[in-house]
Amino acid sequence: MNHRDEHDALRRVFLQRAGLGAAAMGTLPLQAFAAGHETLPFGNGERELVTYPGKRPLLRVTTRPPHLETPFSAFGEGVITPNNAFFVRYHLANIPKRIDAAAYRLRVGGHVKQSLSLSLAELKALAAPVEVVAVNQCSGNSRGFFEPRVFGAQLGNGSMGNARWVGVPLRAVLEKAGVLSGAKQVAFNGLDTPVLPKTPDFIKALNIDLALSAEPIVAWSMNGADIPFLNGYPIKLIVPGYFGTYWVKHLSEIVVMDHDFDGFFMSTAYRVPDNACQCVPAGTAPTATRPITTLPVRSFITSVAGGARVPAGKALQLKGIAFDGGSGIRKVEVSEDGQQWRDATLGKDLGRFSFREWSFDMTPQRKGEFKLLVRATNMQGDVQPATASWNPGGYARNVVETTRLLAV
Amino acid sequence: MNILALTAVRACSVIALAFGCGTAVLAQAVQTVTLPLETARLKPSKLAGYQIAMQKCGICHSADYISQQPPAMTAAQWTAEVRKMEHAYAAPLSDGDVAQIGEYLAVTYGGAKPTLGPVAAATPAPAAAASPGAPAAEVDVQAVLKSNACLGCHAVAQKIVGPAYHDVAARYKNDPQAQARLEASIKAGGSGKWGPVVMPPFANLSPQELKALAAFVLKQ
Repeated sequence: MNHRDEHDALRRVFLQRAGLGAAAMGTLPLQAFAAGHETLPFGNGERELVTYPGKRPLLRVTTRPPHLETPFSAFGEGVITPNNAFFVRYHLANIPKRIDAAAYRLRVGGHVKQSLSLSLAELKALAAPVEVVAVNQCSGNSRGFFEPRVFGAQLGNGSMGNARWVGVPLRAVLEKAGVLSGAKQVAFNGLDTPVLPKTPDFIKALNIDLALSAEPIVAWSMNGADIPFLNGYPIKLIVPGYFGTYWVKHLSEIVVMDHDFDGFFMSTAYRVPDNACQCVPAGTAPTATRPITTLPVRSFITSVAGGARVPAGKALQLKGIAFDGGSGIRKVEVSEDGQQWRDATLGKDLGRFSFREWSFDMTPQRKGEFKLLVRATNMQGDVQPATASWNPGGYARNVVETTRLLAV
Repeated sequence: MNILALTAVRACSVIALAFGCGTAVLAQAVQTVTLPLETARLKPSKLAGYQIAMQKCGICHSADYISQQPPAMTAAQWTAEVRKMEHAYAAPLSDGDVAQIGEYLAVTYGGAKPTLGPVAAATPAPAAAASPGAPAAEVDVQAVLKSNACLGCHAVAQKIVGPAYHDVAARYKNDPQAQARLEASIKAGGSGKWGPVVMPPFANLSPQELKALAAFVLKQ
C-alpha cells in the first residue's frame, strides 16, 4: 500500500461486535474484548477498539501502561469531548489502581516558606473555583503521519480532546506555600511510578512565571464530573495551551525549585528543535533542542470522514474544529485546490484555549473524487503550513489537513 | 518516587474523620480501576533475541507497541531503540542483549536479514546432561533465576510486575498439586491468575530446573 496516497483514505471500521461495549462494562470480565477494529491510514495502523473502565471503545495503543486513542469520529459529536471518549496516556506501568479521595494528599514543598500536605477539601478551599475549556493534546498526536516515519506511539489524530475543567489556580496553591525568591521552576509528580527503581519517574516542570500566572489550574472536575480514573482522578494539572505532557495525572507532589529541573522527561524526552518551526530536514538530528511547549494552530473537518460519499449537486454543510495554544482562532478557510480559499463561519467561542467550531456551506459540483483542505489562522497571525515539517520526536504536527471525498 | 525527600503523608483516613480534613469529599467512594488482560504477544522467532525480549521487555511494557511501529525500520534503528531502553529507561539489558533484541525486532518486524547467526540449538542444562534423574537440589536455583531474568519481574517478598514468591507460596500452601501446577505455570507462562500482566513461557527450562524453581518458590 502506498501510505502517502492512503493518508486521507477512508478509515475502515469493522464493527464486529458493535454496541456490546458499553453494555458489557458492568460485568467486567477482565478481558477487554475487541469491540471492533479501526485501521489508521498508515503502515501497521490496525488498532483494536477496546473498552476500559469508564471508557467507551477506544483504540488500543498499549495495554501496559494503558494508552488509548479516541476514534476520530468522536470529534463529530460536539465541541466538548465526552469523558468516556477522552484519550488515555500513561508512560509508566505502575499506575494507581485504588484511590481513596478522603485520604488523598497533595504535597507541596521545595523552595517555599512552608511545606503543605493538602487534603482535597483543603485544596478546594484555597480559592474560588475557576473554570476553563481547554484542549489537551498529546505532543505526539498524529505521529503516525510523519514521513519518514519515526519510532514512538503511532498515533492517528485522536490523541486530543476538549473539556471543561474546574479547579483552583495553581498559583493559589503556590501562594499558600509561599514561593521564596530565586525560584526558577516548579516540578509536578503524580501517583504513577516506574516498574524498575532506576527508570526515571514521570515528572514535569514549568517555569516559575507560567506556574504563577493565572492559567494553570489544579482541577478535580472534567465536564461536570469527577476526572475519570484513567485521566488522573482525583486531581490533574491543567496547563491551558500547553501540550498534554504537562497535564500531570493523579497530581500528588509539587516542588518549587531554585534551578531548572533536569529529570529525563524534561531534559531528554519531549524536546523539539530549538527554532521557530520546531523542525529539521527530514531524517536529520537537531543541533539544539528545547522542551516542547504550546500547541501550534490546527484545524480538522469533523463532520465527514475521508473517503465518505456525498451527493453531487446537493448542499453539503461541513463542520469542524480549530484550536491553538491560547491566542484564539481568527479565521478558518476551506479550499478544494490549495489556491483559492474561502472563509468558514466560526461558531460559538468557548474561550481561547478551546476547540472552536466552524462550519462551511458548499455544493459538490461534479461527480467523482474531490479534496477539501482546511486551514486555520490564530489571533497572532500564525497560519497552518501547507507542507508538513519534520522533527525526530514526531511532535507538534500541524500541517493543513486534506480530506478526500467522493461525490456521487 | 518523590521528587524531593518529602515525608509521605498518605494516612489520613482516620484523622480525616476526626478532624474533618476530608469532610467535603467523604461522600465520594473510593475509586478503583481494573485493567484488562494483556493479549499482545511478541512474534515467535528462532533468533536468540526473541527469548531475551520475552523475558526483559515485558517487565515494563506490553508487546502491543512493537507491532505498531513503522514497517520498514532498519536493524540500526531498531537496535538504537533497544539501546534507548537500556540507557534511558534502565532496562536490565547487557550490550549483548541489546544487539540480540535489536536483531530479533529488525528481522521479525522490519524485514531485515539476520547477521548474528541463528540461535544455537538449546543446550541442556548441565545438571540434566550430567544425570537425568538428578534431584532438584543439584540445580543452582539462583543461577537459573539469574540466567532467565526471573528477578526482573519477581521478588521474594514484594510484588514487582509479577507476584512475590512469598505470595505464590502462600496461595498454594494447602494445594497438594502445588508443585506440579507451578512447574506447569512456569513452563507455559500465562496471565490472569495474578493480574493482567503476561508471564512469558519458559519452555527452555529442563524438567529438573522447573522442579527446582517450583520447589524454591513454594518454600518462600
